[in-house]
Amino acid sequence: MNKTVSRTVDCISENCPMPLIKTRAAILDAEKGDVIKIIGTHPQSFEEIPMALEVLEKNILEKGQEKENWYITFEV
Amino acid sequence: MEKRNVYLDNNATTRTDERVVEHMNHYHLNDYAVASSQFSHTPGIKAKDGIEKARQIIAEKISALNNEIVFTSGSAESNNLALKGIALANRAAKRNRIVVSKIEHFSVLDSAKRLGKEGYDIAFVDVDGEGFIDIDHLKNLVNDETLLVSIIHGNHEIGTVQDLHSISEIVHKKGAYFHTDATYSFLQIPVDVKKYGIDLMTVSSDKIHGPKGVGALYVSEDVIIEKITDGGFQEFNLRGGTENVSGIAGFGKACEIFSEEDVERIKYLRNDLYEQFKSGLKGVQLNGSSDFSRRIPNNLNLSFDYIEGESVVLHLDMRGISVITGSACFSRALQASHILLAMGFSHERAHGSIRFSPSKYTLKEDIDYTVHHVKEVVTKLRKLSPLVEQQ
Repeated sequence: MNKTVSRTVDCISENCPMPLIKTRAAILDAEKGDVIKIIGTHPQSFEEIPMALEVLEKNILEKGQEKENWYITFEV
Repeated sequence: MEKRNVYLDNNATTRTDERVVEHMNHYHLNDYAVASSQFSHTPGIKAKDGIEKARQIIAEKISALNNEIVFTSGSAESNNLALKGIALANRAAKRNRIVVSKIEHFSVLDSAKRLGKEGYDIAFVDVDGEGFIDIDHLKNLVNDETLLVSIIHGNHEIGTVQDLHSISEIVHKKGAYFHTDATYSFLQIPVDVKKYGIDLMTVSSDKIHGPKGVGALYVSEDVIIEKITDGGFQEFNLRGGTENVSGIAGFGKACEIFSEEDVERIKYLRNDLYEQFKSGLKGVQLNGSSDFSRRIPNNLNLSFDYIEGESVVLHLDMRGISVITGSACFSRALQASHILLAMGFSHERAHGSIRFSPSKYTLKEDIDYTVHHVKEVVTKLRKLSPLVEQQ
């Protein structure tokens, strides 16, 4: 991924629905073109956040696992 | 399907009608003086006229007298005034019990609990699985020591509408006062306060396309009550403080505009929503009265098996649909609705509940759009739900 992350949202150890709430809040605060990285541990949120991003037409740049945490990087 | 914005949270509050805004603006820009008596200046008298016209409209809607309508800042204040004002004024009556249902709004429950700390004996009436008052339990709780009984008319969450007439008969047999919080049913379900034997009734403006921050308490002429807000003699000496003239005038206008035709249309949309869910999705449970004639017309509360309400609310919000859940997220700890739990539901069912509440501004296209997206969201979330695997 070549783009620079503008903001990282830490959702480690947080359960549903907090990762999705924090993702929504980050999108509302962001400007067009910003790159947001969500980091978390809750397995269901790793599935739910891409589902929401698809509806919001936000482009997922990268997603995967870093040690025990998952991450999702997308462009607003 | 093209994205729409669909607001289905009208049990919480409604969009203000443009005609109401226009009417209020007159009192913001022209007759904006502090309402005053005939002995004061003309702008003050005109402002007072605006208030009195609204008072008359509201009184007529519930068959009350004009001097029985006390304007407040909204339902929470009206409920506080009803419970605390009665308690304050009747200390000498030696009636020490106050009875409320378990499914009241927090403004009633918390007022009752505060009075409990001050020495009143607070009793809570049970409800059945559809949210109806347990009449036998009520009869057991209301005794010769009872000062006041407060039972919500149409419940804000599950929509169930109580039989006010039967309740008032039980209450009056023991010589107690009867208060009902009619915030959510006001005008949607007609109430004649004299015929139903109601002593105090809370109503609100923002649920009927009026402005926020305005409500009223109907106080029967026979009731002994004291104000709880000191600092003036306004509102028949029951509420100190400058009146919200534009808000009150707007409240009156909203009442004037509200029509039976709108209620019928809202009922049609609510029923259509329910029928489409019932036929198109499995594992959908109706919360509240199954007899829709005993339900607030703009309320539909459903639980979707195996999924949590918060997730549904968030995913629908991202699709432009505004609804709420009984599964509230407080301080990051999930707490299910006290109403659904009082009805005997499991935490799972309470957490999965969603309230859909249309208004006169809701279109049939909004309903179809909502059904489409709810089906999609529920189906996708169920695929992710560990609860489905457990079954």
